[in-house]
This record gives sequence, structure tokens and C-alpha cells, in this order.
Amino acid sequence: MARFILRRLGLAVITLWLISVLVFCSIQLLPGNVGRSILGPLASPQAVAALNHKLGTDKPALTQYREWVTGVVKGDFGTSQKLQVPVRPQLTAALRHSFELALIAFLVVVPLSLIGGTIAALRVGTAVDRGITTAGLSLSAVPEFVTGVVLIAVLGIWLNVLPISAAWEPGAGPWTQFTHLLMPAIALSCVLFGYIARMARAGMVEALDSDYVRTAILKGLPHRTVIRRHAMRNALLPTITVIATQLGYLIGGLVVVEILFNYQGIGRLIYNAAQAHDVPMLEGGAIVVGGVYLLATLIADVLYSLLNPRIRHQAAE
Amino acid sequence: MSAIEAAAPTRSAASVQRHETLHVLARSKTFLAGATIVGFWVLCAIFQARFFQDPNALSVHQLASPSGSHWFGTDRNGRDTFARVIAGARDILEIAPAATLLGTVLGTALGLVMGYFRGIVDDVLGRLVDAVLSLPVVIVALLAIVSVGPSKQTTILVVGFVFTPLIARTVRSAVLSERELEYVSAAQLRNERAPYILFAEILPNVLQPVIVEFTVRLGYAVFTVATLSFLGFGIPPPSPDWGVQVADHYGFLSGGFAVWPVLFPSLAIASLVIGVSLLADGIAQGFDG
Amino acid sequence: MDDIRRTRSEMENHLIDEMIAGRITRRDFIRRGTVMGMSIPLISMIVAACGGANGSSSGSSSSSGGGTAKKGGTIRVAIIVPTGAINPLTVGDQGGLAMLGQTGEWLTIANPETLQLSGALADSWTSNADVSEWTFKLKSGVTFQDGTPMTSADVVYTMDMLSDSKGGSNALSVFGGVLDKGGTTAVDPSTVKFTLLAPNGNFPYLVSRDNYNAIIIKKGSDPASFEKTFMGTGPFKLEKYTTQVGASFVRNPTYWDSANAALPDRLEFTFYADEQPQIQALQGGTVDAIGQISVSGGRALLSDPAYTIIDVPSTAHRQVHMRNDKAPFTDKRVRQAMALCVDRPGIIEALFAGKAKLGNDSPFAPQYPSTDTSVPQRTQNISMAKQLLSDAGMANGFSVTLNTEKAYEIPDLALQIQSNAKQAGITVNILQQSPTVYYGDFTFGNSPWLDSTMGITDYAHRSVPNVLLGAPLLSTGTWNSAHFKNPGYDSLVKQYFGATDLQTQKGISKQVETLLLDETPIMFLYFYDFLGATKKTLAGVEITPVGQVQLAKAGFTA
Repeated sequence: MARFILRRLGLAVITLWLISVLVFCSIQLLPGNVGRSILGPLASPQAVAALNHKLGTDKPALTQYREWVTGVVKGDFGTSQKLQVPVRPQLTAALRHSFELALIAFLVVVPLSLIGGTIAALRVGTAVDRGITTAGLSLSAVPEFVTGVVLIAVLGIWLNVLPISAAWEPGAGPWTQFTHLLMPAIALSCVLFGYIARMARAGMVEALDSDYVRTAILKGLPHRTVIRRHAMRNALLPTITVIATQLGYLIGGLVVVEILFNYQGIGRLIYNAAQAHDVPMLEGGAIVVGGVYLLATLIADVLYSLLNPRIRHQAAE
Repeated sequence: MSAIEAAAPTRSAASVQRHETLHVLARSKTFLAGATIVGFWVLCAIFQARFFQDPNALSVHQLASPSGSHWFGTDRNGRDTFARVIAGARDILEIAPAATLLGTVLGTALGLVMGYFRGIVDDVLGRLVDAVLSLPVVIVALLAIVSVGPSKQTTILVVGFVFTPLIARTVRSAVLSERELEYVSAAQLRNERAPYILFAEILPNVLQPVIVEFTVRLGYAVFTVATLSFLGFGIPPPSPDWGVQVADHYGFLSGGFAVWPVLFPSLAIASLVIGVSLLADGIAQGFDG
Repeated sequence: MDDIRRTRSEMENHLIDEMIAGRITRRDFIRRGTVMGMSIPLISMIVAACGGANGSSSGSSSSSGGGTAKKGGTIRVAIIVPTGAINPLTVGDQGGLAMLGQTGEWLTIANPETLQLSGALADSWTSNADVSEWTFKLKSGVTFQDGTPMTSADVVYTMDMLSDSKGGSNALSVFGGVLDKGGTTAVDPSTVKFTLLAPNGNFPYLVSRDNYNAIIIKKGSDPASFEKTFMGTGPFKLEKYTTQVGASFVRNPTYWDSANAALPDRLEFTFYADEQPQIQALQGGTVDAIGQISVSGGRALLSDPAYTIIDVPSTAHRQVHMRNDKAPFTDKRVRQAMALCVDRPGIIEALFAGKAKLGNDSPFAPQYPSTDTSVPQRTQNISMAKQLLSDAGMANGFSVTLNTEKAYEIPDLALQIQSNAKQAGITVNILQQSPTVYYGDFTFGNSPWLDSTMGITDYAHRSVPNVLLGAPLLSTGTWNSAHFKNPGYDSLVKQYFGATDLQTQKGISKQVETLLLDETPIMFLYFYDFLGATKKTLAGVEITPVGQVQLAKAGFTA
């Protein structure tokens, strides 16, 4: 098990390094000149050159990259070129905000989709099953900004029950903050609902069909207990994987939802950095997002193998 | 000689299977529903210019509510939202399939190579694929588009490239099981060259997952292209693209203005992606059943 | 009257002559008098002596009205997030300049309504005969917020830094070709002399609040770390500044001008990335005022009686350039035709709900005293446009790409131009880019702004047209995106800069306006009003045409 985790960690580090190279290369293609974009059209060429020298953007790309990597290894993500503040505090604050939003989204979507999937599985082939499956399929296909906009129109404007922006006023209590985050969280959840419900349904159908569930039922255990104790657990397994693999989509969705609802999370940070051509901020954001994704996949894999004896056995081999 | 003998029965089997699949599709409600929705938008895209009013005509009636003269109301520039929603089908129906096709072609080639050669080629390419996949599609596309500037062509290229590793992954796993089969070893024994084995022998046999993957990806392509347009990195305005329409107006929602020019394009996007995914689901079921 | 005249300079006497002769109006006299450094009481005296009524009007719609502002309280303001560090040397954005204005002060202030100058940190100013040297007397007793007195040394330090042509100052847009490092010298601790690179009759405007970078900072202080202290001479001092989030300020208890100490106890600024969240914040009661709203975005507030809309006329505008050296615009008839296609009143109505003034294809906005308003206004004339096109051999029209930045109302303006041009058979293809891309490297050859055949560029408010006559239009101009090279124009503008009296300026303006109308290198379609919004219960908020939000005299009425 330890070897499995170590190997995965090693691969994750290589992947992170590759991400940094990819991002760095694409940034080299960005048009514009950092010093010029800070000083504006009037600054003399000397002043622009001096600022570029100070910021280090006049150094060869390879040197810049090496310095950046050395910094990151030591935990220093550099200084934002646009805002002239250290990148790290900005990243951590944004990441915390996004986590809060993602957490609420998960709290909304996981129980709902598990229940949905289970109900569908228990009524395989009926209209209820088809309804849930088709609704899930449709919801997961619709971009977050579309669901978000429809939610704003219906819940925010016509019914006027939820605030339409995620930005709350300074000093707002936890409950107010929660209400502000609810609509963006629902918009994020819609895409995930389809996937998780589908996986849960498949897992459940398989479990219900399995020998041990049949045995349990034959033994005369109450139907409800069988479902809760045996089948649910089986249905949960693929769900964990799906949550982990959909994390990339979740973070991509965060960009859109954070922009639509005006929320200062990691997605918005990356979006702003990309628009402002703020290299250290963009690099930092991409690494953090990649890191979070890889870590989550790793945790999901470990959890999966812990919960599933068959995989554990394979991993040991 | 033996190659022809080996190939012939496969081909006829494939055509029988195709016939059956079509039969299943024609009876699948999911497939038919999807096909109807997508077909509607395709017709809109083709015949918009002939039957509906100019989507770019300005008027002094800004942000009007739906009425007899403007069924879906008007936008901030007084343009007719209905005309723009109908016309908006065009760009996305050009870009999304083109991007998906590009991604499928590249991804299939990459997947074939990775699955067939395995070893170091697979490892190196696999890492690269993982690196791309661990960044959200939207962020990768955003980075790439900021670098080169938004246009229809860029969007097609970028979305196509982003989909390549995803498709490659699926094809690779199909090839992995396929390469163990006898017909591959037979071809290797005949000293066929690798490209021939890959594209003439293995490819026809993994075509089914490739087709399913194409239709599934098509849904994602619509999703991604619309999202990029919404973020301002996709189809550049003043195209009547749906994502652009939403992006241009969602800011006005708070005042209770502009619900219409936001809601209708949104519903159009929703209906198209749902249509495409129903279609994809129908096709996948068709192959399974 | 003769006593007054004896003590005044030759130029001031000339100005008085002009008014007596009726060549300039009383209003223009006041405006011009303030530039020459005549004090308001003196001006009133002269005006009275010449038979006019006292002309110093104080009522201005640039601040929110409705009741008297009460002292105390915290005023919460929403502004657009500053795009970079708050560095007086480099700030060039709306959010940043609004921040600078909280603790900083300038030598002079131009009244937004009347464009009349008054002293802020400067008490009085005079020039030599050819307006190439200006001497400013500073007010006595001015102190920085840490108690140190402000002297001429601080002014020299600030001005040298801002005017250094080898430096990276944003104020070079104003000082370029006018003042360089070393041009500012201290005569004594309370007197500063500016030796200009070229005569400039409008120089006192160039050190006014409109040159938002020109807040006086302490000698030896690093502008790059201004953000940490916000050390200035103003009525507020920094409490806390958080990058990207907001800032708070408290009343400066030791403000040098105790009679004008700030009314509010505290100011709280929250930064927003977009306009709509700010409007929501105002509607939701999270903030009391918004620094800037647009007509299209602020619709919800414009018609709501619960809010006061502060409407400040400004000379901010968009320039639509047509490259004189590139087909199809090499022929001036084609440029004229394009300008004749445009329905200016229609555009002002559609884009600004009427809150803008007509432009006449020159930088001379109707507000400038030196503008000759007798030059006929260009109006839409499609048949004449078609005639000009066919004379130029383009009877079937032509097709051109219009580069635009995705900012403000510019995308909508592009649509209007596209729709107008279509009537004369001209096909305009719109290419929309982000501002970063549009401006590119800001140098010829590396910037769609400067290289495109046709493009729309945003220009901020200026209280004198000097900058607008220079960089975008002179043959050597660094912002000359139209690639307009006209020796006749160049020499006219040189004369204008050196002109010492309004009558001469007006005479030159007429020639410039006529020449630009004929050549039409750039379309100036409108000069739009700067808008802010406050709660009805808030009075005394002053919004300047540049975009500063001045709150020293603001307070709640209830």
C-alpha cells in the first residue's frame, strides 16, 4: 500500500512539473510586455526596460523558469506582476474561498444524487428510473453558466428567495454567507448530479444483482437493511471515483460560477491573471489547481482500494 | 491472400451489425428525441438567413420585453432576441463538430500508438496526457486562447487539442485488449508494417468505441465552446452566438432588466446540449444492445 | 480700476482689455483670469468694475445635493478594483486614481463645471510674458499627515519624478514636451518655479487635480511604497489598505486647513471587479455611494428616486481613427464619407440616454473656453457620403475592419457605426479584443491600437485640450493611430500651445477645427458625462470628471 502511494506521489510530482512547463510555455506566447503593461503607453523605453529588469522579465525564459521553480520548491510563489503583492497569500485566500463553495456544492449534490441513483436502481426500467436518468443526463450536459443564469432568473429575480451574488457584505454572519453561496453551489451541483446519480445507480443495480445481496434477502433480512448495509456500500464505491475524476470539471466549473456570481475564488483568480497576463499569479494558480486535482485523485484511489478488497489485493501484488 | 480471407468475413459481419444498430436506433426513444432537437437547430442554422429577420439589425427599442413584434424581446442594442437565438445556432454547430472531429482523429491516432507500442512511448505520452487532463479543460483552453487570441479557428483547434488526450485514453484501453487478439499477431507474423496494422487492422475493430466517444465528446464540445464564449475566449462578438449573448447581458440581470436576452439563449444552449447528449446516449445504447 | 491695472502684469491687462472690449464673455474672463493666477476676489472686483455682476458661482451639480451634510459617520463607497499597485507615479486606472485622491492633494483644482481654476496647495501663480516660466506660491502652514511641513522641496521632488522623461511616470501624458526633470526649482521654501520646455499658456491646469498623479508626496519617499502609508497632505489618512479588497480612511485630525476639515469620521472603500455588483451593493444598502456608473449598466438606478445620480460633464470621449496612410482611408473624401454616415444624436441617445455632448471630429469639446462653437456641426448625410464615395471611385462602397477594445460602451459604439455605415454601402467588420491585446506593446508595429486601419480608443477627461491636440494628432505624436501627418496642423497646434490669450487661442481653434473637419483623421463623436450614484440621504459627495470621489464635504442628511 505504502509503495502504491509513494509511486503515485512520484508520478504526481512529475505531472505537476509537466503542468508548470506547459503553462510556462503557453505564457511565453502571450503578447505584450510586462513592464509596458504596468507603466502604460507614456513611459520611456528606458523606464520600461528598468522595470522589466527589476521584475526579472528581461531574463532568458529558461532562467526565469529555473528561478520560479526554485522559489516554489521553497514555498515562494513570487510576486504578482500586476498587483505587486506576494502571490501565496492571494492563492491561499482564493483556494479557501473555492473550497468553501465546493464543500457546500458537495453537501448538496452527494446525498441528493445518491438518493436519486438508489431510487432509480430500485425501480430499474420503470418511468421513475427513466425520468431520473434522463434528468441527470440532461443536467450534466448543461454548462454551469446556463444553469446559473436560469437559477438567477427564477430563484433570484422572479421568486426573489436567494441573493443573486456570492459576494456578501463585510462582517456578514455564517448563515448569510451560506445563503449567498447556495445558488452558485446548486449551479455547480447540477453537472455533478448526473454523473454521480448514474454511477450510484449502476453500482446499486450491480449490487442488488449480486450473490451476497440475494443471499441476504433469502436469509430473510429486511429489505431495507439489506439495501442500507450491503448495497449502499457497493454503490458508494464508484461514486467516490467519479467524484475524484470529476474534480477537474468541478474546478473548471468554478471558474465559470465564480465569475457569474462574482466570487473571489481560485477560478476567478486564474481568469483574472490570464486576462492581465500576470505570469507568477497564473503559474501559481495552475500549479495549485493541478496539485489539488492530483491529490484528490490519489486520495480517492487510496480510499477506493481500502474499501474494495479486490483492488487492495492487486495493489499489494 | 490470407489477409483478404481474414478481412472479408469481418467486413460483412460489421455491415450486419451496422444494420442492426440502425434498427435499434430507430426504435430508441432517447435517440429519436435527441435527433429531433439537434435536427431542429441544424435547420435553424441552415435556413436562418432565408426565413428570419436580420439578427444584427439595431433598433431604438432596447431591452424590450417579449411582444408581438419581438417574440423574445430585444437586447441592449435593440436587436431582436428571437432572430439572434435562431442565428446563434450556426457558429456553435460549425465549431463544435469540427473541434470534436479534430480531437477524435488526433486522439484515435495517439491512442492507437500508445496502446499498440506501450513501453516508453506509452509512458511518456501518458504522462503528458495526465498533465493536460489534470488541468480543467476550461483553464487549458483559456490559457491557449489568451496566448493566440480568440477566433473561430482558434476555438476549433484548442478544443480539438484539449479533447485529444481524453479520446486517446479511451482508444488506448480498447487497443490494449485488441492487440492481444489473434488477428494482430497474424499481421505481425506477416511482417506487416506498424501503420498498416494500426490503421487497417486494429482501427476498424475499435471503431465502435471511437464513434461512441465522438458523440459523447460532441456534447462536451458544445458545452466547452459555449462556456468559452461566455468567458469571452470563444467566438468573438458581435456574432449572435448564444454564449456571447448571455455574457453580454447577464450583468443586467440584477436590475431585473434583460432577463429575456439572457434566458432565451441559455435555454437554446441547454436544449442543444441535451439534444446532443440524448443522441450520444441513444447511440451508446444502440451499440450495447 | 486703474489702480488694479497698474499692479497687474501685461497679460492680465490684456485679458481685462479683451473683456472690456466685449471680445470675451464674463464667464471666459473668470476662467482665463484664474489660469493667469488672478485671485477670485480680484476677478470679482474687476468684473464688478466693468459693470458685470459678481461671477463666482459656487453651485455645482457635480456633487450630490438634497439637504445639508451632517458631520460624522462612516461613508461606504463602492469603486472599481484598482488594476495595480497604488503608486502615484504609475497609477492610470479609475480605481487607483480614486484611491490617490483620498489622502493626496494637488497644487490647483479646476472646477468641473466651469473649468475655473482655484488654488489647493498653491496660493497663487504668475507667469513670465511668453508663458514659458510659471512661479507658484505655496500656501503656508501645509503639513503632511505625519506633521512634517510641506515645502517647495517636496513639490520639486514630486514634479521631478513625475516629469522625468526618462522615467516611467503616467503623468508624462501631461508633462511630455512641457516639463522635464530639472525644470522645477525651489525659489524659497514656499515658492516653486517651473521652467517649461515650450511656452504653455495652460500650465496651471497641468498641475491640477485633473492630472491625478500629481499629488504632492514627501521628499525622498518611494512612490512604490506609497500603498503602505498613503502619506499625503489631505483631509483623510489611511486606516487600512488591502490589495484587491478595499481600503478605509479616517479623518486627519491635524489637517492643515482646519476650516475645511473632513466631515465624515471614516471612509470605507470596497473594491468590485464589475459594475453590476456595485449597483447591487448600493441597492442592498451595503454601500452608500458608487464612484462610477455607466448609463447602460446603471439603468436600474437612473430611474429610481431613492438614489441621487451625480452627473458631471466631462471631456472624456472615444476616438475613432482612420489610418491616413492605408487604403481605403488614404483619400480624405472616404474619411469624410465615413464621418457623414454616423448618426451622432442617435448614438448619444442609444448609448448614453442623452447624457453626452456632440463631438465635431476635433478634440475641441464644447466645454473648452477656447473652442470655437461657430464651426458648423457635422451631421449625418448619407447622400453626401455616397457622393463622396463615388467621387473617390468607390461608388459601391468598401469593406473595412474596425478594431475595438472590449471595454465600456465601445462594443456598442462599434455596432452603431457598423449599422450607420451600411447605409452608404460600407461594410464594417468588427474585431473585438481585450484592452490588453488592443493596446499591445503601446508602440508602432506592436499594437493593434496604433497599427489598425480603423479602431476605437478610449480617452479620459482633460480640462485643457493640449494633450488631445498633441499625441494623437501631431506628425510625431506617440499615440497617432491615424498616422495623420499634416505640417499645417503641426504648426497651428504649436501656435495654440504658445498662445497667451483666449482670443488668440480661439482664432487658432477655429482653424484647427476646420482643418480637422476637412481632413477627418479621427472621428470625435461625443464627449460623455461622468456619472456617479449615491443614496438620497447622502449629500456633498463630489465626483470629478476624471473620476476622483471626494468626500471631505460629504455627510448624511438624516
